[in-house]
Amino acid sequence: MVKIKKTRLKDFIDFVQQEYDVFAPTEVGKKTAFKKIDSAFEIIHDIVNTDRSPKEVFFPQSEVLFEYGKDGLKTPERKEKPIAVWGLRHCDTSSLTMLNKVFSDAHQMPDKDMFKDPYWKEKYDNSLIFNQACNTPLSTCFCHWFGRGPFDKTSSDIFVVDVDDVFLLEGISEKGKAFLAKYEKAEQATKEDEAKITELKRKAESFLAEKTDISELFEKIGKLWDEPIWEEISGKCVNCGACTFVCSTCHCFDVSDEGKKGKGKRIRLWDSCMFQLFTKEASGHNPRGISTQRVRQRFMHKYNYFMDNYGVHLCTGCGRCVQVCPVNLDVRELIKKVLDYKIS
Amino acid sequence: MSNTYIPIPMKVEKILAENPDRSLRTYDLSFVNEADGKNFHYVPGQFCEFSILGKGESPFGIASSPTEEGILKFTVSRTGSVTNEIHYLQEGDIVGVRGPLGNWYPFEKFKGKDVVIIGGGFAFTTLRSLLVFMLENREDYGKITVIYGARTPDFFIYKEELQEWDKREDLNLILTIDKPVPEWDKLCGFVPVVTKEVSPDPNSWCVICGPPAMIKFTLPVLLELNFAHDKIYTSLERRMKCGIGKCGRCGIGSKYVCIDGPVFSYEELKKIPDAF
Ligand SMILES: Cc1cc2nc3c(=O)[nH]c(=O)nc-3n(C[C@H](O)[C@H](O)[C@H](O)COP(=O)(O)OP(=O)(O)OC[C@H]3O[C@@H](n4cnc5c(N)ncnc54)[C@H](O)[C@@H]3O)c2cc1C
Ligand code: SF4
Ligand code: SF4
Ligand code: FES
Repeated sequence: MVKIKKTRLKDFIDFVQQEYDVFAPTEVGKKTAFKKIDSAFEIIHDIVNTDRSPKEVFFPQSEVLFEYGKDGLKTPERKEKPIAVWGLRHCDTSSLTMLNKVFSDAHQMPDKDMFKDPYWKEKYDNSLIFNQACNTPLSTCFCHWFGRGPFDKTSSDIFVVDVDDVFLLEGISEKGKAFLAKYEKAEQATKEDEAKITELKRKAESFLAEKTDISELFEKIGKLWDEPIWEEISGKCVNCGACTFVCSTCHCFDVSDEGKKGKGKRIRLWDSCMFQLFTKEASGHNPRGISTQRVRQRFMHKYNYFMDNYGVHLCTGCGRCVQVCPVNLDVRELIKKVLDYKIS
Repeated sequence: MSNTYIPIPMKVEKILAENPDRSLRTYDLSFVNEADGKNFHYVPGQFCEFSILGKGESPFGIASSPTEEGILKFTVSRTGSVTNEIHYLQEGDIVGVRGPLGNWYPFEKFKGKDVVIIGGGFAFTTLRSLLVFMLENREDYGKITVIYGARTPDFFIYKEELQEWDKREDLNLILTIDKPVPEWDKLCGFVPVVTKEVSPDPNSWCVICGPPAMIKFTLPVLLELNFAHDKIYTSLERRMKCGIGKCGRCGIGSKYVCIDGPVFSYEELKKIPDAF
């Protein structure tokens, strides 16, 4: 483990930037989001969860698949450096691993080239992930329900802890270790520094609200398809889709052409299963025409279908959906309702 | 790494209006680049995303059989923006196609067995693919029975071929229309009723495709006849975008119609609550 003085962070970020474009939590208008930064001074260190999730770093809200014109089709050529993300909290680090399951393969047919999403892979595969411990989790955080936590180090390249006037950095993956080894200006962390992590971790965990045991969630929710619970839950949802847009793991998208017949581009755009048009067919038939069906879809996908396909819940407990919902639909309440529900 | 979002260019070789109101047209496409054709390996039941640049894409079942080399055939019903644009195409135009996508009818399992094909309306597309494929390899299969229904005689597709198939000794083709019209000498009545009457051998494998209502009412007939649940196959339609299990649009339960389907057995579908 090494340490970097906060006053020297700029030098370290400059060093990272020699090889990578650095994305970090920063202000974008009135919101906070992960954006490409020019210098370390733009980084906001004291937020826990950015308003917008970091999925947009690798899966932008709108992305050109190809351009078409007289000379045929042209895929955008990526000229930028590989991506490094600084300041990811563990929930967000793990959200990227979930999205990676979707975009890098098809679970039923692993390693088949046609199911690899080149737009995701060219950004994610050679990225460098700095996973920063959360010293002060929010009241909306529930990562611990899923067996993860604010000081979890897994799935990252480099683990970062903000301790007083320094950042402690630990290489986790081989790539992370090798990268840190190249930065000669870092000092070795001392035993005392490391001891502080244990204390910070204990404190951080004390901020977390009570844990709900969700070991039965997958099976239980799977049995509730036909139960009236969905009407009760969806009653107040106004289908605005805000929860799906801020969600770090929602990955539904639309594909649409911009331009005319002879010249234009095909783009993909985030879409939402909360919208009626999402599944509406040309005949007028709509398999999820009513709100209850759409709310059920969202939560079944999160806590049953994805587990079925990929062995993990498609939710990190980041709590963003809880923060933005205009009618206070709290996914934690929903999970508890599901677990407590008595099947009639 | 290949890029499945990029359509390959294809040339419209031939367009055939299938019915008098021209709402159904069949397109024969050829590969602009020979290499694309060589790399395009499909089997009956698969589908493609058909691209009109500037308008978008729509999924269509492949109506040709892999035995018909060099072309891909699609039959398109005019319903909305992309299908409208497809109907404006002229012979010689260049379009884009992505595929082959999805799974296929389990024709390997049909070897040596009797097969019943039940179709309705213009959903006969991939059934044609399957039928032509089986007829090309006729000795591999037992009895082949086809029950095909349409609203009126005009709404059958592939009419010329139907006439040829009707003459074959090695194929039992049963055509039916909803209501009697003059000069129609074949059956009259809805597909479920006709299926019951024909009463195919329940040891056969069955593939059924058509409007949802037809499937809904024919399934119970097949079950009553004692067809095994894992020997009844159908092809589902859902809205699609990516066709490769990413965009989330075509989900039914934990399956995606675009990669886990579009072909499913009744055995699989009865476990998925929102499949029908
Ligand atoms: C696997 C599969 C095979 C199909 N095979 C055929 C076929 O052989 N012949 C044929 O005529 N039609 C077929 N369809 C239906 C066809 O895809 C739709 O009719 C078509 O997409 C309508 O597009 P549109 O833009 O003209 O209509 P619009 O109403 O303008 O549709 C807008 C969008 O809705 C989607 N959409 C609308 N209806 C459907 C639908 N029923 N299924 C899927 N997506 C839909 C499309 O993504 C389209 O881009 C098939 C669908 C699927 C999923
Ligand atoms: S569902 Fe809510 S808590 Fe779960 S990952 Fe999405 S935004 Fe975060
Ligand atoms: S943010 Fe709330 S109201 Fe909006 S779609 Fe999500 S659950 Fe419904
Ligand atoms: S069409 Fe995108 S997931 Fe099936």
